[in-house]
Amino acid sequence: MDMSGEYRIPAPRETVWEALNDPDILRECIPGCESLEMTSPTEMTAAVTSKIGPVKAKFKGAVTLENINAPESYTIAGEGKGGVAGFAKGSADVHLAEDGAETVLTYTAKAQVGGKLAQLGSRLIDSTAKKMADEFFGKFTEKVGGTSQGASASADDLDAGVVEEAKSISLDHAAEDAVKAVSEAEHAVEERLHQAEENLEAAAVKGRFGGPMVWGLIALGAVIVVLALLN
Amino acid sequence: MGVEGIGARALRKEDKRFITGKGRYTDDIVLPRMGYAAFVRSPHAHAKVVSIDARAALEMPGVDAVLTGDQLVADGIGNIICGWMIHSKDGSPMNMGAWRALEPEIVRHVGQAVAVVIADSQGEAKDAADAVVVEYEELPAVVDPIAAMADGAPQLHPEAANNLIFDWDIGDEAAVNAAFEQAAHVTKMEVHNNRLVPNAMEPRAAVADYNEAEEHHTLYTTSQNPHVARLVLSAFYNIAPEHKLRVIAPDVGGGFGSKIYIYPEEMVCLWASKRVGRPVKWVCDRTEAFLTDAHGRDHRSEAELALDADNKIIAFRVKTVANLGAYMSLFSSSVPTYLYATLLSGQYDIPAIHCNVKTVYTNTTPVDAYRGAGRPEATYLVERIMETAAREVGLSPADFRRKNFIRSFPHQTPVIMCYDAGDYDATLDAALKAIDYDGFAARKAEAASRGKLRGIGMSCYIEACGIAPSAAVGSLGAGVGLWESAEVRVNPVGTIEVLTGAHSHGQGHETTFAQLISERFGLDTDAVSIVHGDTDKVQFGMGTYGSRSGAVGMSAVVKALDKVEEKAKKIAAHLMEAAEGDIQIEGGELKVAGTDKKLTFTEVALAAYTAHNLPEGMEPGLKEGAFYDPTNFTFPSGTYICEVEVDPETGKTAIISFVAADDFGNIINPMIVEGQVHGGLTQGIGQALLENAAYDENGQLITASYMDYCMPRADDVPSYQLSTHVTECPGNPLGMKGCGEAGAIGSPPAVINAITDAINNNDLTMPATPEQVWQLCQGSMKMAAE
Repeated sequence: MDMSGEYRIPAPRETVWEALNDPDILRECIPGCESLEMTSPTEMTAAVTSKIGPVKAKFKGAVTLENINAPESYTIAGEGKGGVAGFAKGSADVHLAEDGAETVLTYTAKAQVGGKLAQLGSRLIDSTAKKMADEFFGKFTEKVGGTSQGASASADDLDAGVVEEAKSISLDHAAEDAVKAVSEAEHAVEERLHQAEENLEAAAVKGRFGGPMVWGLIALGAVIVVLALLN
Repeated sequence: MGVEGIGARALRKEDKRFITGKGRYTDDIVLPRMGYAAFVRSPHAHAKVVSIDARAALEMPGVDAVLTGDQLVADGIGNIICGWMIHSKDGSPMNMGAWRALEPEIVRHVGQAVAVVIADSQGEAKDAADAVVVEYEELPAVVDPIAAMADGAPQLHPEAANNLIFDWDIGDEAAVNAAFEQAAHVTKMEVHNNRLVPNAMEPRAAVADYNEAEEHHTLYTTSQNPHVARLVLSAFYNIAPEHKLRVIAPDVGGGFGSKIYIYPEEMVCLWASKRVGRPVKWVCDRTEAFLTDAHGRDHRSEAELALDADNKIIAFRVKTVANLGAYMSLFSSSVPTYLYATLLSGQYDIPAIHCNVKTVYTNTTPVDAYRGAGRPEATYLVERIMETAAREVGLSPADFRRKNFIRSFPHQTPVIMCYDAGDYDATLDAALKAIDYDGFAARKAEAASRGKLRGIGMSCYIEACGIAPSAAVGSLGAGVGLWESAEVRVNPVGTIEVLTGAHSHGQGHETTFAQLISERFGLDTDAVSIVHGDTDKVQFGMGTYGSRSGAVGMSAVVKALDKVEEKAKKIAAHLMEAAEGDIQIEGGELKVAGTDKKLTFTEVALAAYTAHNLPEGMEPGLKEGAFYDPTNFTFPSGTYICEVEVDPETGKTAIISFVAADDFGNIINPMIVEGQVHGGLTQGIGQALLENAAYDENGQLITASYMDYCMPRADDVPSYQLSTHVTECPGNPLGMKGCGEAGAIGSPPAVINAITDAINNNDLTMPATPEQVWQLCQGSMKMAAE
């Protein structure tokens, strides 16, 4: 998955840069973040509890920082492992540009998921990651700029070949939760997908994969992307 | 049930247990002290296995053992084999890489197993499998078969440079080239046959039970061919000698080819049962099935058809790249060669054909036979280019085909096959009439008035069933013979058991095989039971695939019945003091012609077993066996026509009508044949419109559940109009051809030809998703505007 976006933050670039390197601010802005520690100037670990639809789960991820060119740009890479449940990896090039008293943050991010996460959740990753990125920057802008007016304009470049209709509809849909987005996308595409969703939900109730793990892993993918977007 | 012979629409005897939930499948088998297996699988498409740490898993509740590939190799368990040797055109044997049931060094596709956990319950085993920590070092992966052959592409196996398994040729290249020089018209196209996941309703499963005192293994498993499984497990995998291994395939819920092969999991269960000293059960979950059941199709081809000035085909040239995935599955090499290129003549008299096939390793699930196995790929290619050529030269698709039909038999094609019988005009005529082809223009105009695009497309398929004869396939590289066996046991009370080497996993053998006996002896089908699927009960047999149970399996039954009938008549003649030639069998009785003397079948059977009064020198009993090795393939054929309506606003295709006119030779049970055709057509329409196994560029299967892999449903298909025309197959005693795969073979090109006709754009590839169709509609409209 490739994703890019631009956010206007009503604060000077130095302030934004510092905030992006402040574990406390990040912890407050990352949706569901419980702990976030810098283990070195270029490394940190995070524990995040995510709630996507009916499922709540906790994940751990690690992020490293490369190509640091303070206060203008860096590349960040994150990786989360879930054993046989799969993995998620992400990296992003982040750039801060001064625009008067404001800062324009642009990013291009790449994320890759593998294992069960890819098999069962790949079509939810894009919309979930975008939603979480928007949530993060909404809060971040509020914290750093003292306002929640930060405009968001992100564009997603989708992979081909994955029930495109469902994907694009779920992406366009600023849904309250991923399950609802999936559900509505499926209705729009074809009723035949409906049963599959019910099956997945039935499996979720039973609790094995297809259950909390999957939804949790989807969250992990999103978290990794979000982590990759900041620091 | 009554006396229901050949041609009766007898209700299926097996359905009572299937539809009342009384079927007995592998997962229904529970043995004392049984443990459960769960596999630890790679999340990476290509990676070195650096370490496997099972300490945490071993401390979890209920965990008995965690076994890895190193232990498997140390125990001398053999690599998984490919049972059909293909030589490249330069004479070199195919480049086969090692495939270990648990991989200790390098994983080559997502889902490949590296370890197995045995625990007291399935849940505990799966939880512990999650706790096994495997450290991988990722390697670059390649998914696209064309890219895989390029210099510098990631290499899967040291044996196969540039990932090329073999580079194989069939046909006379020089003759083809010469004909192309003379061509008045050449039609060229690229054709891609999409990758499919088999999706049998019952996933694979195994229960392995090792008896230490007897040094004997029993394996209950979802197999289409239990004897072949036992042979391979014994001869190649060193599990146990054949007499120390019993393989039972109980009720099996669908196979479509995917249950022919001997997979790592079943073999690991056998090995693990001996190692841990308890029975071991494994049941594949749906995601595992997507990742590990051998996939189907995945061909990329370039085809060129040369015509003379009279629109007669003078030559056909094809180049195909077949993606075989990460390893060579059991019959993977035969599918894109002898089951594919040998059918490239279609129903047409083509003097020269040449086909080159390159098979390639990629970091994807292995590919093998799936309903049709090579013939769908050939038919799709031939029928797409026939339709395209007809459009290019301005002939109607039917007239162009008729111009090139084969009409005299036997017909030797330039690609090995010798067609024995057929009447292609008859099935084409029947299909054209059934769909009211002449009325299409009016229907198209009516649809246009509603803003809809109507299209019609046909497919005149031929396929080859009952792969044979054994000596011929042996000379082409097959590791097994392809005959079939049967034993007919008449019990002392006159009931009959038929032991067949064929295996039913949905085909209805218990009904159709019984109909043969009913026909022959006039007995109630309830007096007959069909025994199959157990190597301890049934003599060696080859199983069921390639639509062979009728033409090959039933022919063996007929041969055994001939012997039983002969002996029963001798006994009856002796008892009634009549000449053997005067004995007639009718309505369950043996009668002396022209008299009122008669004995019931039961009386004759009892006499055979009491042996109080048998002809001089005759052995007691009434039980006969036979092996049948056909002299040729059989060649079912037919015409399918599909009419679609496309909504240009949404790209959605609705199949308005679909007619099938098939020639299956003689038919035992028309209802069961119709069921087979319905299922096959629906699978073919699924391939054409919906199904696609998609990988991302890193080798992750991103269509690994029914949320993303779209299976056809009842509302995706029309009510089919079926008819049959009979030309008897001269190659077997029943004149049968086989009907199990035709629907899946013939239908995809009919659907795609219809859609391309509707949207007036030939660039469509399968599956014809609404998005793709919509995009092409936009292109067509733009071109029309210009």
